[in-house]
Amino acid sequence: MVFNSYTFIVFFLVMLVLHNLPFTWKVKKINLLIASYIFYAAWNPPFILLLWLSTVVDYFVGRALYTQPNKAKKHLLLVLSLCGNLGMLCFFKYGGFILENFTHLVHTLGINYQPAKPNIILPAGISFYTFTTLCYTIDMYKRKSEPVKSFLDFALFVTFFPHLVAGPIVRPPQLVPQFQTPRTASQKQLMQGLLLISMGLFMKVVLADSMLSASANSVFNSKDVLNSLDAWMGVLAFSGQIFFDFAGYSSCAIGVASCLGFVLPENFLYPYAAIGFSDFWRRWHITLSAWLRDYLYIPLGGNRKGKFRTYINLMITMLLGGLWHGANWTFVVWGALHGLYLWVEKIIQDFTYRRKLNLSIAAEPTVVMQGFMAPRFLKKVQSSNFALALFTFFLVNVTWVFFRSPDFTSAWRMLTSMFSHIQKGSSILSNLAIIKISVIVICMVAFHWFMRNTRVLAVAEKLPWWLLGLIWSILLILLILSQESSSSFIYFQF
Amino acid sequence: MKKNNIGRAAILTLLLVLLFVTSWELYLRSKGIPISYDDDENLWSDKRAMVYEPKDKATVLIGSSRNKYDIDISTWKKLTGDHPIQLAMPGTSPLPILDDLAKDKNFKGKLIVDVTEILFFSLSLQRTKEPNNHINYYKKWTPAQRASFSIDHFLESHLVFLDKDLLSLNALLEGVPVPKRKDVFALPNACPMEFDRVTYDRQNFMTSKFLTDTTLQNQVKGLWVFYRQMSKDPPISGTQLDSLFATVKDDVDKIKARGGEVLFVRSPSSGPFLQGEIMGYPREKYWDRLLTITGCPGIHFADYPAIDHFVCPEFSHLKVSDAVIYTTNIVQILEQKGWVFPGKSKI
Repeated sequence: MVFNSYTFIVFFLVMLVLHNLPFTWKVKKINLLIASYIFYAAWNPPFILLLWLSTVVDYFVGRALYTQPNKAKKHLLLVLSLCGNLGMLCFFKYGGFILENFTHLVHTLGINYQPAKPNIILPAGISFYTFTTLCYTIDMYKRKSEPVKSFLDFALFVTFFPHLVAGPIVRPPQLVPQFQTPRTASQKQLMQGLLLISMGLFMKVVLADSMLSASANSVFNSKDVLNSLDAWMGVLAFSGQIFFDFAGYSSCAIGVASCLGFVLPENFLYPYAAIGFSDFWRRWHITLSAWLRDYLYIPLGGNRKGKFRTYINLMITMLLGGLWHGANWTFVVWGALHGLYLWVEKIIQDFTYRRKLNLSIAAEPTVVMQGFMAPRFLKKVQSSNFALALFTFFLVNVTWVFFRSPDFTSAWRMLTSMFSHIQKGSSILSNLAIIKISVIVICMVAFHWFMRNTRVLAVAEKLPWWLLGLIWSILLILLILSQESSSSFIYFQF
Repeated sequence: MKKNNIGRAAILTLLLVLLFVTSWELYLRSKGIPISYDDDENLWSDKRAMVYEPKDKATVLIGSSRNKYDIDISTWKKLTGDHPIQLAMPGTSPLPILDDLAKDKNFKGKLIVDVTEILFFSLSLQRTKEPNNHINYYKKWTPAQRASFSIDHFLESHLVFLDKDLLSLNALLEGVPVPKRKDVFALPNACPMEFDRVTYDRQNFMTSKFLTDTTLQNQVKGLWVFYRQMSKDPPISGTQLDSLFATVKDDVDKIKARGGEVLFVRSPSSGPFLQGEIMGYPREKYWDRLLTITGCPGIHFADYPAIDHFVCPEFSHLKVSDAVIYTTNIVQILEQKGWVFPGKSKI
């Protein structure tokens, strides 16, 4: 079930009513759990079995990992959990990819091997709930938090429908404690939740699906070399589409949870206002980048094993982060480009930091900008910051070419169209499409810039009620007018 | 922000949205626009799921737009007691749907295939893309999508403004007079809103305003000419045509082997459209061969005086009053050809 569907609206209203009836807290949690299974099964009922399997195995393995005193047995249990979770992910998500690459490999060795084409359907949200359960078992192994006492709470933690299919990826300490005491939304929480849902649906349905997706699709599906304007407009359209699609989903998820009295972590903080790539990854898909940092980058050694290893660890993290998004080498290159950008940024940071030390002005304090160390001057000069943000946005757009293109031939054709002046490049976008993309992307970047140090709910609280009501109604009217059918969110395929 | 201000904002939002929706709906109704259903993959899937009713003896209509305008569903129901299922898709080849039904071992009903030559005798992928998309969508139609479709059906039955093709945000923006970009291929604007509406049974019908307004009729005629000129490929012949006939025969044989029946129908067209079709697709080379090779019965409108005289308002489709006469005659002809309608005894 997708948030942008009539089915979900009815489902959500029923859930709101049930959650506010005078049932015991346990009954309400059972309601939420059953609803979450219905939410998932409404997509493809048989895949609910995978979810159950993952829940049951990780609940018991998690407990055993926490209590097992024998180190060898503990290792074995961890390996069992990792193999179970990652094996399932590998089979469904990477099975075809692995087979295809293996076939290529044996062909290069001169062996004629033609395997049957696998017909594997990817269960919705498998990448997300696998990461959710993985972090639980790894936390148990490290004894970072206590095992969840109640199976009901654990099942609800894994399955809670607002985050189940496309995140935000939650950690046990963020959500499990919320199931331990009765929760219903206050009037303020309910209204804030409804506002977030409206905004999320507006982003997904109006901006991503209705205004941008057709242009992005026609440009990226074109087999011709395009003129630069069309190529750039297509990339910018996708840049907007992917943000509005995924940030829209996250906003809906947080809003739905809020209406039920729960709090989910933020997933997007105006990423197109990021200054540099470390800042970008603190703003884009925050829960994934935090997961990769805590469960991959730091266990690899992080920055504790010298500079060389830091760079290697960074690149490994970004490569695997890229691969997480899809079983295609284009995603790996997308991750590699981000890794490369982070390398360059780190080299510049190290260089400027060293130079400041040498000039004895290192005493000037640095500021923590979205969790990363950045020179103070970045905070001072607003106009140059904006230029840096635009430069970051430009580089991010280059990476989207690999993310969106189905293969390297298409990606190369797109890059050629973007960066070389081709006399006879095809023009495929209408003036109306170009106007739509330009207006939306300019407004998006400006909005991100002005909002980069604040939150939408904080701004909403400061607005006069009539102005907030006016803006809110415009969002809903455009949503109703757009009449887009309930298309899937892009991140469901990941 | 003062306490409860977000609540006040929410109430204002609700009022403004209700005011807008009501005003927009009343405005459209005041213009005399009737209800229409989005003829999308969900509506198609809903009908596709019905091909097994009743008791493996459904009458299924496939083809292109002519079947959708010319067969009047309510007349058919009234005369036969059966519920015809409309699976035809405008501007497309019926062959993917014929193949899909042929492969569906549970389908054993009657099949009426509309033959619009330029679409039927075509190898263009453009002609098969949409039917294939619909078939794939139907095969993956999830319980959630079915439920959404049911709610959507209820809403569309009551609200005129729910018309994606003509009244969605994108459709309204397309109406903004933005100059065309040089060298960019652009389709002409969609058919005027007054041209047609779609029923829940997927039947298209021209509005009364369209039938009395020659400017609108000329606008649609111009569109057909544009689309006709777009398809520059010459009519297929030789081995390509032989191969197409073989594919059709193979599919037809599968259906007949299960006890099903297949009939081809050449629906009326008129004016220069008909002249072009006669010239481009000589009957003996296409229509007659199709019937001979497949061994199926066929109804060519030109062979029956009762249905050979219709004038199509935009050269290609019948108006509702003519569709009623046409359907009545088609049912009679089918009965003469030995078709039995089990539901007729219950009328």
